[in-house]
Amino acid sequence: MEEASEPVGRVLGTADATPLQFWTAVTPGSYLQLDDVVVTTRDLPDREPVTIAGVVTQVRARHEGAQFDSDVFAIADGTLPALVQEAAEITTTRVDPELYVPPAPGAVVQRASGEARDAALHFDRMERRVPMGTGRDGVPVFLNADFLDGTRGAHVSISGISGVATKTSFATFLLYSVFRSGALGADGTNARALIFNVKGEDLLFLDHENTKLDDSTVAGYKLLGLPAGAFPDVRVYAPPRAGDSSGAPDVNSRLTGVDSFYWTLEEFCEKRLLPYVFADADDERQQYTMVVHSVTAHLARHAVPAEGGISIDGRRLGSYGDMVDHIVDQLTDDETRSTWAGSAVNMGTVNAFARRLIGSKRDLSRLIRGDLAARRPHQIKTAESAQVTVVDLHNLPDRAQRFVVGVTLKTEFEDKEKSGTGRPLLFVVLDELNKYAPREGSSPIKEVLLDIAERGRSLGVILIGAQQTASEVERRIVTNSAIRVVGRLDPAEASRPEYGFLPPAMRQRALLARPGTMFVNQPDIPVPLCVEFPFPAWATRKSESGPPPAGTMRSIVQGADPFAVVGGRSGSPDDDIPF
Amino acid sequence: MTRMFVDAWDPSYGASFEGGDAGEGPASPSTAQTDTNTDVEVPAAQWAPIDVPAGLRAPDVVFLVDGVRRNDAGLWTAEEDGQSYAGLAASYAAGVVRCDLRNGVAELVGARIARGLFTASPSAADLQAGSVRYEVHRVSGTGEASKLPAAVQPPLTAFEIEISGDARAHGSDGADLLVVDGPLRNRRQLPRTIGYVKTQQKQYLPASLTPVVTSLRPGQRTPVFHIGTTWGSWSWYLRLPGASGAPWSGIVRVECSPDLTPEQAIELAGLSGATLPRFASSAYKDPRAPQNLVPIAGLERRLRGLLGDARVLHRALTLATARLR
Repeated sequence: MEEASEPVGRVLGTADATPLQFWTAVTPGSYLQLDDVVVTTRDLPDREPVTIAGVVTQVRARHEGAQFDSDVFAIADGTLPALVQEAAEITTTRVDPELYVPPAPGAVVQRASGEARDAALHFDRMERRVPMGTGRDGVPVFLNADFLDGTRGAHVSISGISGVATKTSFATFLLYSVFRSGALGADGTNARALIFNVKGEDLLFLDHENTKLDDSTVAGYKLLGLPAGAFPDVRVYAPPRAGDSSGAPDVNSRLTGVDSFYWTLEEFCEKRLLPYVFADADDERQQYTMVVHSVTAHLARHAVPAEGGISIDGRRLGSYGDMVDHIVDQLTDDETRSTWAGSAVNMGTVNAFARRLIGSKRDLSRLIRGDLAARRPHQIKTAESAQVTVVDLHNLPDRAQRFVVGVTLKTEFEDKEKSGTGRPLLFVVLDELNKYAPREGSSPIKEVLLDIAERGRSLGVILIGAQQTASEVERRIVTNSAIRVVGRLDPAEASRPEYGFLPPAMRQRALLARPGTMFVNQPDIPVPLCVEFPFPAWATRKSESGPPPAGTMRSIVQGADPFAVVGGRSGSPDDDIPF
Repeated sequence: MTRMFVDAWDPSYGASFEGGDAGEGPASPSTAQTDTNTDVEVPAAQWAPIDVPAGLRAPDVVFLVDGVRRNDAGLWTAEEDGQSYAGLAASYAAGVVRCDLRNGVAELVGARIARGLFTASPSAADLQAGSVRYEVHRVSGTGEASKLPAAVQPPLTAFEIEISGDARAHGSDGADLLVVDGPLRNRRQLPRTIGYVKTQQKQYLPASLTPVVTSLRPGQRTPVFHIGTTWGSWSWYLRLPGASGAPWSGIVRVECSPDLTPEQAIELAGLSGATLPRFASSAYKDPRAPQNLVPIAGLERRLRGLLGDARVLHRALTLATARLR
């Protein structure tokens, strides 16, 4: 824990020095900035000396010898003698051995580097370290993988204002680091990621090289022990184009390697997906929930597959619209209503249900299909997909987004439950968590997300949730996140108790954080670390994307590659048929 | 109706001048008044306020010297023969401020602190109180308690002279100015030095010339005159800005070594008029404004800080003497 280097000051005695926080007067000619790591020792009788390490959480400079504010003019004029004295507040991060004694005023404080710095930030105790960027001093800082993969904790909660907080960029960088750093060993390589792209098409190019990548960024990646490149194995799903009977994916900028996803009517009935159509938080408060559940049960029991569509009560239904119309007909008919909705339901409730069901036709008819081949691959399944699965939602209306997120997460989570093993890890990146798991009310999606937050750790499902305001997200999800990350915050938001882990000075800094700067709090370091993560090495928009990777040229929708070796989706060139 | 003015000085510091019976200037005419030569710069008959010569700038570097002292404890000795002497444990410090007016830096360039035990007791030895040592200074005579505080002054003055020399030792450009707080007395051998007297107790000028002093406007000075006391000197009055308007408010007396030629004295007088007004303090910041100069006030604060905490020292002395018994 030694090897501390240059002395930068002394513990001052005009303010209380405590074991957890103390002030240091900075030697003239030296400086300390926020986030610098320092170390000092305290000699004890009959014991080995205690090493106290900490990070700078506040720095101040003042004129000593000045009594009045206006004295500064006399001092600047050269008539009043005064001394500029800087002092830094140190928040203790580590006491070794664990004897909580205050440092003695007058003790020399040294800037920590090398091993001393690693020890101060507990990096030396991390068996598996995931690089997540560099500190203010330009040296890498790490995340303890134990708190990411479920060994001792799981889930990441990222908060910050949209646009400047770079929440999604940090989430993708973290994934990249997990996949490519090797810190998680085989778990890292086998891990899967499910990313929901809710805004723009910027996550659709994860597998494209970034043509704007410059040498300094490459050097930045190298410093972190990472190669600079695109995600190697990505599969992109997009919803079918509205009104297009061929089911071609609805994307504008990315043209190759995009598969469309949808659900057949048969799956819709059999897997009881109807409740996810009513996934608004306020839907759950309404009386018609009862109707939803009995209709769901009826569909599951009576629907029979019929050439892509379903057949129910002897009628073939070929589209979501047809099915909705049929259900509404049956419910409004006095004779059939009780078989669909039960007997104790009054007409008002049925009408409320019918109104919303009809309203969902426009949003969901392109996702729930009866006209496309059931054999055609159309489901989002991370286990069968690539390492990174991107689900594009940005073209979908709100109700459809909720449906896709809810159903996909439920399916994935159920698959994990069935497999009964926590491996391979599945990272789920979901932005706008406050929409899917709001603090108030309940909805089927929120139930799934709560399930993931509370049980996902043991099942190997890791939620990387991002939101503008953590205060509006279900508290149990936030408290279950072992790793809390904060980018630029809104001033009113920063004062909420959800950010209590930020010391006051850091809370203020979060209001000014630049894009690319995050404050990361992890359980075994008592102070959040300020992290700057490098610019993405993959393309984030069409204009900076390099040529598409070869594997994407033969996506399923674009027609199967007749020369591809069976089972070798992104197979190596050696496996190619040699002609 | 008589016009009235509130004295700018805090009453606990006394007044900046002690008014006489006639009410026209300092009381107690100097015994040396008869020796005062008022015809040095201009004949007494032509005395009038003098402005700072146009184009004369304050020197780039001004040194200001001052000392502070504090009585830490009064003591009594118990001699073998049953006699008892009074003792005074005092801390004193002197320091120099170097005001670099060109670069706008004022810094403490030299400070020296000492502690002494002043007593007439023939048997007293140095007193070690905690980590500090009070060196014994034997006072001659009977050494009544009331006389002891005055005994601190000579070593303090010696300090001031010493560090004034030290401050100049590195970095005098030959055009600087050294301002000593109080009369020059035995510090007259210092080059380019003026003594700065804040309180006017003695009247050096004949009554006929007093109106010239009271009619000074801020920054103006009287002509140089010669005082022929034991500590004779060239001297002049100067009015600082920021005074209340009372006839003698803001008036300071400045003096320089009598060994200088009249021309050198007049040059220093001009220089003082260009320099001192910018150091004048303002009433709400300093209880002795404007006479207590800003650098001096800052220096005194620093020096008092260096003297250490009075309560700590008092307790250390109490403990130390208790152990000696």
